Amino acid sequence: MILSEKTVKKIREKASKYPKRKGAILPSLTLAYKQLGYVDNEIYIEISEVINVPQLEIAEAASFYTMFPKKPRGKYLLQVCNNISCALLGADAMVDRLEEKLAIKRGETTDDGLFTLISVECLGSCCTAPMIQINDDFHENLTREKLDKLLESLKNGK
Amino acid sequence: MSEVVKEKITAVDTVTCTIDGQQITVPRGTSVFDAAGQIGIVIPAFCNHAKLKPVGACRMCYVEIEKMPKLQVSCATMATDGMVVSTNSQQVREGRKAVIEFTLINHPLDCPTCDKGGECDLQDLTFDHGYDDSRFGFDKMRFIEEEKRDTFDDLKIGPEIVLNRNRCILCYKCVRANKEAFGEYDIGAFERGDLTEINATPGGEVSNPFSGNLVEICPVGALTNSDWRYKIRVWLTKTVPSICNFSGSGTNITFYKEDHKNFVYRVTSRCNDAIDDGWLSDITRYGYQIVNSESRLKTPLIKKGGKQVKASWDEALAVIKKHMGQIKDQSGGVCIGGLISPSLDNASLYSFSKLFRTVFKSNNIDFRGDYRYLPSVTDSLFTIAASQPFSISDIEKSDVIITFGTDLIREHHNEYLKIRRAVNFYNSTVYSVNPYAVKTADIAKSEMVYSPGTDELVINGICLVAIEKKLVNSSAAAKLKSKISKLSPGVLAKLTGLSKEQFEELAEAISSAKKVTFIVGEIVARSLDRDKICAALSNLNKLFGVQDKGQLAVLSRYANSKGAQKLGLSATPYEIVKDELKKIWGEYPDCQPRNTDAMINLMKKEEIKGFITVGANPMRLYPDRSFASEGLEHVDFLVACDMFETETTELADVVLPLCSWAEYDGDYINLEGKVQTGKQAIKPKYESKAAFEIMELIARQLGAKLFENEQVKNEEIEKLLKLDSVLPWPDDFLKIEYEKKSSQDGYPVPLFICDDPHHSGHLTEKSPSLLNFSDSAYVELSKGLAAKIGVADGDPLRVESPVGKIVVPAKISPVLNSDVAIIPRNFSSTQTTSLLMRKKRVDSVKLTRVEE
Repeated sequence: MILSEKTVKKIREKASKYPKRKGAILPSLTLAYKQLGYVDNEIYIEISEVINVPQLEIAEAASFYTMFPKKPRGKYLLQVCNNISCALLGADAMVDRLEEKLAIKRGETTDDGLFTLISVECLGSCCTAPMIQINDDFHENLTREKLDKLLESLKNGK
Repeated sequence: MSEVVKEKITAVDTVTCTIDGQQITVPRGTSVFDAAGQIGIVIPAFCNHAKLKPVGACRMCYVEIEKMPKLQVSCATMATDGMVVSTNSQQVREGRKAVIEFTLINHPLDCPTCDKGGECDLQDLTFDHGYDDSRFGFDKMRFIEEEKRDTFDDLKIGPEIVLNRNRCILCYKCVRANKEAFGEYDIGAFERGDLTEINATPGGEVSNPFSGNLVEICPVGALTNSDWRYKIRVWLTKTVPSICNFSGSGTNITFYKEDHKNFVYRVTSRCNDAIDDGWLSDITRYGYQIVNSESRLKTPLIKKGGKQVKASWDEALAVIKKHMGQIKDQSGGVCIGGLISPSLDNASLYSFSKLFRTVFKSNNIDFRGDYRYLPSVTDSLFTIAASQPFSISDIEKSDVIITFGTDLIREHHNEYLKIRRAVNFYNSTVYSVNPYAVKTADIAKSEMVYSPGTDELVINGICLVAIEKKLVNSSAAAKLKSKISKLSPGVLAKLTGLSKEQFEELAEAISSAKKVTFIVGEIVARSLDRDKICAALSNLNKLFGVQDKGQLAVLSRYANSKGAQKLGLSATPYEIVKDELKKIWGEYPDCQPRNTDAMINLMKKEEIKGFITVGANPMRLYPDRSFASEGLEHVDFLVACDMFETETTELADVVLPLCSWAEYDGDYINLEGKVQTGKQAIKPKYESKAAFEIMELIARQLGAKLFENEQVKNEEIEKLLKLDSVLPWPDDFLKIEYEKKSSQDGYPVPLFICDDPHHSGHLTEKSPSLLNFSDSAYVELSKGLAAKIGVADGDPLRVESPVGKIVVPAKISPVLNSDVAIIPRNFSSTQTTSLLMRKKRVDSVKLTRVEE
């Protein structure tokens, strides 16, 4: 099992609250994603066994939602907003800088498995543009220096 | 319900609307699309399917409805009172044009190389409703597997099915049919928006026993099958209506044939709502390939010096004349016996019976070659149970459906789908009561798995609990109680492995149901104690009045089992059939009747010297191979008629090539008792002849004549078919003794030999497409049992019974949950029936891992 016992227990708990088993697909995927940071076919099979819904139904639902990553991602997910406010204030330069520093392209993960870089649509923080969301946290009013410092501190495990 | 009340309900439950100026009244809940269809107005559509729930995905069925601001999809809009619809207004026509244009944005223009060309909905509707030209200049989107760039984007997603995602217009019919109608989850829609694609489940393939339907209902060339791909263009073929020859339900099919090549190219459904809803099992769809098989018997064969050599019909018949004549003259016709396949048509069956009974004057005939030790009495309870009326279309009208002793997906595909439909569309409740977990379980309200060999006790348990809980008429209850009171429900529960609550649940369900369908299947029919089980069913029927409010029957398994019974093909036909035969022929042999089992027994005693098999393969299918082979090897003169060389023809002195059902007109009676005609599609291949011709030829060789002409034959058959063939149940409740059966020490796992879900009988292994799905024997077992033995999927496993031993790969079943082994009997490469003993109620085996 890739899913931890804790996750399986949580999935069971959630699943028991739905009148139809199919209803538990999305919450189960979310729980699996929270544990692993991604979902893939093996996870679908495991979830299918836990909530007794065909693997196909889970795969279909997961593929529909683009915000479930389908392969493992770095420890830190760097989500650079590229919508209008951020773009006007230099989001592209941010991405370029990150690509250069991490030696990866958008959508890729560093070899050490620490960083995954993606650009995303508006995160609702336009007044503090440009900004980046790292995992669940916002980092706002970015400048080149601030970004470098941020990367350093993450690399050092803070 | 009184007529008045009924009328009231109908009055309330209908709506009247106007479609294109015509008024129509339809039941509430009817879609505008269907309502229009009823008055002959055809609305174009891609995603709508009469047997599936509407989704409104393709938008092609737009109609204009008064007071609604925009065009509506007629398939998902229900007709309401006073609705005024127009299906062909200017706005509608423009709407359709736009839909077609939109659908074609990414659809490739590869009609010349597309296999669907000529019968493509998109092609037809574009011609009817689309623009001549496209306004989209940019490149079409393509799904390409990088490494497969040169393969026209084709992707094999199953043993038979090839997918081309570029052509897909996302009507979702395949996915919906798979889930809604077949309950299978091996094809789905992934991603979203313009990236949406149909594909097999990740890591899986589309190989369910109904997968051929997906190809047939695809409105474009996105799903094609290797059976038909690139072989011929559809407009070069002609169609012939026929009947499936592999199932008891007689699903309606269409042959696509080409006359110059004398070749059948494919089979598609011919929707008959009363029987099949237009769905075919893969066996029906791909099984026809045996007709074209290169390995068919091409000429008669005669055994010369221990070897079978090719011969002409005249030579073969002369040999038959010599030997059969000799046996008849010297030992008497009673030393000749015969076994015929119940898949043959009425004329063949009747000719066979007439040949034996009037020319050989023998009563040694049977059509049941795969049942162990049969009762020889006419009105055995099993025969009565099997003669009960049954209606396929009543399944979906029943609120309670009980499947007892039947693994539907291996026996009755059509009824399996009907039950699914009853649950999904009519809210029926299904109870699955079987000695092992079956595929029907996912739609069953309760699945009850009893220990193998306790079938009649389960029925007794239901009856007793019903009496205890006062769910049934008290006088009937008292009468029955005196007959089966020995064992209490508690004891029965223990013996059967079920619980008292489960008995109660079933009793409750049957007694409270408005309409019941009680299906009894092959597991009961093949049981040694089939009579005892049917006695219990007789009691149950009487106690609950099942047939007064529904149906209860043992379903017949083969294409013409019902016909064989009606025409008197068993050694002991029904009394009325016997009387009628006497009347028609002016004679009837008064010698001892002998069924398959008795005949094989007599072969060993050399009391049966001549034997004729027609389409039957007792060597493979008789549930005790050593018994059958010992018998058949003892026969002095064996004539075997079949389409292929089989285990039985190998032993024969004369082998005659038999026609397939596609090569002559024949009538077949399905399990409902409905007579249907299978039309001739092609001329008999090679030198094969139909069974009725062969019988006539043999009779003439022996100086007799079966029929003056065809008309006489048909009239005689007609007379027999007119007889009422439903036998009455016994008037009284029956006593059922319980004997404790000692289990075989050292052989702990109960064994069931049945058909593979993709095969039927001994012929389908000659169909290449069906072999793609499943091509050799395996032993199916539960995850738990596999773990106990220590085998993984595909590991070789030694299966030993007290009489035989085979080695086959293990197959871990997603369905089974108890310790049983299931092995298919359809493959000549494995002698499955050598594990069986004919006088055993439950065969059991020992499973051991084969060490490397």
